[in-house]
Formats: sequence, structure tokens, C-alpha cells
Amino acid sequence: MLFLELFFSFLKVGFCSFGGLSMVPVISQEMLSHGWMTLEEVADILAIAEMTPGPNGLNCATFAGMRSAGIPGALVATLGVMTPSLTLCMAAAAFMTKFRSNRYLGNALYGIRPVCLGMLLMVLVDMSSENFISGALPQIQLLWKPILIAALVLVLLVRFKWSIPKTILVAAVLGVLFC
Amino acid sequence: MAQQVEASSTPQQLEGRQLVEMMLVMAKISCFTFGGGWSILAQMQNEFYEKRGWVTQEELMDFSSVGRSLPGIMILNITTLFGYRMAGVIGAVFALIGLVFPPLVVMCVVATFYTVIKTNVWVAKALVGVRAAVVPIIVDAAIKLKNTALVDKATFVIMVVAFALCLFTPINNALVVIAGAVAGLLLRGGRKDAVS
Repeated sequence: MLFLELFFSFLKVGFCSFGGLSMVPVISQEMLSHGWMTLEEVADILAIAEMTPGPNGLNCATFAGMRSAGIPGALVATLGVMTPSLTLCMAAAAFMTKFRSNRYLGNALYGIRPVCLGMLLMVLVDMSSENFISGALPQIQLLWKPILIAALVLVLLVRFKWSIPKTILVAAVLGVLFC
Repeated sequence: MAQQVEASSTPQQLEGRQLVEMMLVMAKISCFTFGGGWSILAQMQNEFYEKRGWVTQEELMDFSSVGRSLPGIMILNITTLFGYRMAGVIGAVFALIGLVFPPLVVMCVVATFYTVIKTNVWVAKALVGVRAAVVPIIVDAAIKLKNTALVDKATFVIMVVAFALCLFTPINNALVVIAGAVAGLLLRGGRKDAVS
């Protein structure tokens, strides 16, 4: 049963992936609702997936599967996340020329991309409140050290165009030194 | 030996040794692909166009644009399209196995390791920093997505609605994505001037 659930969870992740980190909200929701991981662990796998070779979505699937059900879990989750490519994309490959400029596909994406952005913002709210705030209203405390690390990383990424693995290393070192 | 590639979508037939060669090259490419992985296209161009002449640059561009517009992990989609072009379904499967194998092994090792060392004091401290860094990494991804996602007022409204749905209801994300696709089709139907 666990394997079936893992497969379907990552099938969903696969079908909701549209480039970039658009699959993160779905991974996060699936992991939390099944109790396979905490939000902290989701942040950890994301960082680990960015730092190890291979596509992010694939790495997250393998990691999550491995964490929840060992190597068979890793295989099942990986297969789940590969399924859209093995089915839809394989079909598209046979009709490549028609797919190259399909208007319906483009117009569906016109609606999907902003949705992905909205879901990403939601993940940002979740992860920020998890990492930057402790306690509940009305007595919330800001955790200044993580906030400063995040601010620094943002500047390095956006202003100085550092690569993501490099910024993660810097953040890890700062964490060891100051947190 | 460079082969002449016809400009059609019918697969050419790589055989035996070449299939294995393609799989191994995909594995090599996979080892040097990090994150979202735009570098994979540059690597495929180098290995399969410049060195082997198995594909044309135009074909690679097509793989990329079709792979990006279908659901699924973009890199896996591009690999499927490429493998299919090389040797049909078998080719696609070989290319995918090559691509998936190295990260699969690495992640299994890393996950085992992570479970063991996660609670170590120093690792725990480092992870506090790393988790903080994940927030700006997502911000960066969101900024990049914004350019292609928010093209007019309607898309802005769709984004706000999706965000509100996720914030205030326990709705499943997959449903929100489907709703987005429906909204896109309803708003634009079969109009040609697709903003993509």
C-alpha cells in the first residue's frame, strides 16, 4: 500500500511539474499530508537536490522514497515522477511536428504558469514562518540569524548571480558559526 | 561517424553498441547537470551534435521547446524526445535509464547518510543555515518564473486566486494546476497568438 501511495504521490508531482521549482509546492503538500516528512525535511531535500547531480524533481523523488520506504521506495517514487515523460512525452515524440506549435498547449500553459507562481508564494509563506518565526500570535519572535542568512543569500543570488550550490555552502558555514 | 539526419519526426535507428553509447553519454551528462539543469542542452549539443552528428541544432531546440511545454520534469522530457528520435521507444527508454541511474545511486547514498548525521550538533547547526537559504532560492525561482507567468492582468488574477486557494483551503495542489489549465483554455481558447 505504501508503495502505491508513494507512486501516486510522485505521479502527481510529475504531472504538476512545469520547469524551475514549480514541483516544490506539490512535493511539500504530498510529504506533509502523508506524514512522510516535516517541512524542515522538505527544505533539506530541496537543498540537497540542488547540490547533487541530476534534475531536482528526480532527486527529490528518490530522496523522499528512500526516506519513507528504503531503496524499493526510492525506485517506486522515481518511476512515479518519470511517468509523465514515459507516457505523454513519448506520445508527443511520435507527433513531434504537430506538438511543436500547438496553440491549446500554449494556452493551457498561459493559465498554469501563474498558478505555479501562486503555489510557490504559498510555499514561501510556509517556509518563512517555519524558519524565521518562533512562537504563535500574539507573542511571535523573529529569528534574526536565519533571516540575515536568507537576506545575504538573496543578495548573492539575485545581485551577484552566484550559483545555488555555492550559496548553500555559505549558508551552511554561517549556520555552523552563528546558529 | 557523422550521420545525415533527416528533418522529420521518424526515429532513426541506432543499434546495439550505439544505443549503449548513447546511454553512457546520457549518464555522463547527468553527472554534470545540477538544479533545474539548463546546462543539459549545451552538453547534449556538444556530445550529440558536435561530436557525433546524430542530431541537428534545430532538433535540439524543438526537443527543448516541446519538453518545456509538456507536464513532467523538463530534463526527462527532453531526454525522452531525444531518445525517441534516436531509436524509437527503445531509444527513449535507454536514454532515460542513462540519465536517471547516476542521481538515483547518489541520492540513495545521501539519504542514508542524511538520516544518520542529521541529529549531529554541527550538522543541525549547518542545516539551520541551509534551511534559511532555501527561502531565497525559492524567491529567486519565483522571480524567474514571474517573467513568463505574469504576462497580463488575467494571469495576475489567476496567480492571486491560486495563492488564496492554497492559503485558505486544504485543496490539493494538483486540482489547482488543472483549474489553471482550464482557466487558460477558457480565456484564450484556440487563439493563435499564444503567449508562451
